[in-house]
Amino acid sequence: MTDEETVAALDEQVKRASGKRTRRSFLAAVVAAAGGYGFYRWIDRSPGDQMIPRPLRKGLNVDEAMTRGVFGERGMTPTYPVARAEELRVNGVYGLKQELIPESWRLQLVGVAGAKQLPQYVDDVTAWEYRYAAKKDEKDSGNHDTKVAPQGEASDTGVKMSPAFEAAFAELKKTQGKKRPRGQEEAGESNDTLDAGTPGLLLKMEDVTRFPRQELVTQFKCIEGWSQIVHWGGVRLADLLAAYPPEKRADGSLPKYVYMETPDGDYYCGYDLKACMHAQSLLVTEMMGRPLGQWHGAPLRLHMPIKYGYKQIKRIGLIAYTDMRPDDYWTKLGYDWYAGL
Amino acid sequence: MAEEEPKSRSVEHPADPVVEEVVPDAPAISSGIDSVADPESIAIEEAVERPEPMATIRLEKKHPLAIRWMHWVNFPVLFTMIWSGLLIYWNDSDNAYQHPHAVYRVGVGSVTLVRFFPPWFWKAINAPYRVTEGLGYHFFFMWLFAINGLLYVSYLLWSGEWRLMVPDRKSITEAIQVTLVDLHLRKGLPAQKKYNGAQKIAYTLVVLMGAGSLATGLAIYKPTQVHWVTTLLGGYEMARWEHFLLTMGFCGFFVVHVGQVVLAGWNNFRAMVSGYEIKRVDAALIEPSIEAERRTL
Repeated sequence: MTDEETVAALDEQVKRASGKRTRRSFLAAVVAAAGGYGFYRWIDRSPGDQMIPRPLRKGLNVDEAMTRGVFGERGMTPTYPVARAEELRVNGVYGLKQELIPESWRLQLVGVAGAKQLPQYVDDVTAWEYRYAAKKDEKDSGNHDTKVAPQGEASDTGVKMSPAFEAAFAELKKTQGKKRPRGQEEAGESNDTLDAGTPGLLLKMEDVTRFPRQELVTQFKCIEGWSQIVHWGGVRLADLLAAYPPEKRADGSLPKYVYMETPDGDYYCGYDLKACMHAQSLLVTEMMGRPLGQWHGAPLRLHMPIKYGYKQIKRIGLIAYTDMRPDDYWTKLGYDWYAGL
Repeated sequence: MAEEEPKSRSVEHPADPVVEEVVPDAPAISSGIDSVADPESIAIEEAVERPEPMATIRLEKKHPLAIRWMHWVNFPVLFTMIWSGLLIYWNDSDNAYQHPHAVYRVGVGSVTLVRFFPPWFWKAINAPYRVTEGLGYHFFFMWLFAINGLLYVSYLLWSGEWRLMVPDRKSITEAIQVTLVDLHLRKGLPAQKKYNGAQKIAYTLVVLMGAGSLATGLAIYKPTQVHWVTTLLGGYEMARWEHFLLTMGFCGFFVVHVGQVVLAGWNNFRAMVSGYEIKRVDAALIEPSIEAERRTL
């Protein structure tokens, strides 16, 4: 064997050793890549839990547990000078599509301790009839933007939904005729809407506004990605709840949740009692120094800066204490229930 | 390609042809480029003293197993973060509803030069009406991204590999030289250890960008609970913009990185998978250049 041949053979050995390593590691890479893809497929093909794959819903719930563990609901939202506040844009009119006659508004309060002894007690809060302004001839103005206040009288303007839903919804409306069942939006009827014959309190506006007036200038954050600094006026939700505390459970503990709904039951939200007791959770009667407008949820809406906008329900008709985690409009459509900021 | 060989595994190798590279935490590494001279002279001496023929190439360990795994895990995870981020972002950029997003634009004052992104882009990536899916994936994979990133940085620190990656005073000059070579404006790469100056800067920067994405992400995710982070970053909208800008940065990094990997060739790419690179034994004697890199098989 000449030197050159020996060198070639030695080089060959190096290449062979390299080849062995390369094959081994690329095999591992292929297996890992297949595993990764399988993981994605498993998530993607998992059965849905309220409109998103179950592993993703579980993930959101884990995030929630961690957020609670680390932060609780202690954080206070920064406030701003009034000069920085601007008009909040109207973004979604669920539960507001009929124009509520203000005098017919009552706040249904359910689950209050010793409710029977209070003058506002009624045997059936669901029997209260909210009245709506008669609809004018419906004319399609062609404006299907839910992100601005509908023009003129309350009209069922288009909603920002997938075209498939829009078509199905139009079909549904045709078949329903004049009747107006509760939960007439994409998420459908709430599981927590009250059964007929539920006793509770019917509060008037003066029962709400008797608490110390609060003002806040905070940033309203929408999960869509936009945010605006808004000047809010109203009373603390915590003050109302303290005045009408929840009935204790059999074991002496307090219910953990609060459920709210619009008078027509089309929009609804669930909260932790703790979030409702946050000092910045506000029952709003004024925005930007003026009384709340119809499209912002007159006569009473919620501002809860520790949550995204979809938890800040407009036109509150019902506040109920509850033991079970309440149904939530946007959670049903795939969003996080907690929505904590 | 080097290893297309008949699979005669019966051959016993007289000597292990694998040469372990200097262990990363050995002090020789930290002294940087100057130390390159030593192994060279030894190699020459050996060649002179021993007349027996030697292999002209050798296998050299380049990337530790942990780094290879974390590098490749990061790729699909970051991809998922960017993809799900776009699904979320679509929700605020739906121009059909006359509210084009205010945050993700390039402009001065009220003059907007570019708004991200045009409708055809959203259609092409099938983003419309998938925001909940995007949120679900984003808030799931953020943990994988964060954990993988933290493990990566911890490993760099623990193993001493960071010394090969963090730029030093010479890195900027080197990076300029490397860029000039890439642009064919200069010949001859500067001497380097594992990474050249441009790589050191880019790889360190991209790790910092990852940390930035976590910080800006947290500022957006919990702007009330960690409002001091949000405020430090210039407020909620500013944090969103920074988060987005960093994402664009990752995309830019990806394009350059993949381009450079293609240019550097198979031997270099393979090392990121198998960990080993084939080197010419006399590599140290050759003037470093792109051509020399390629010649090392």
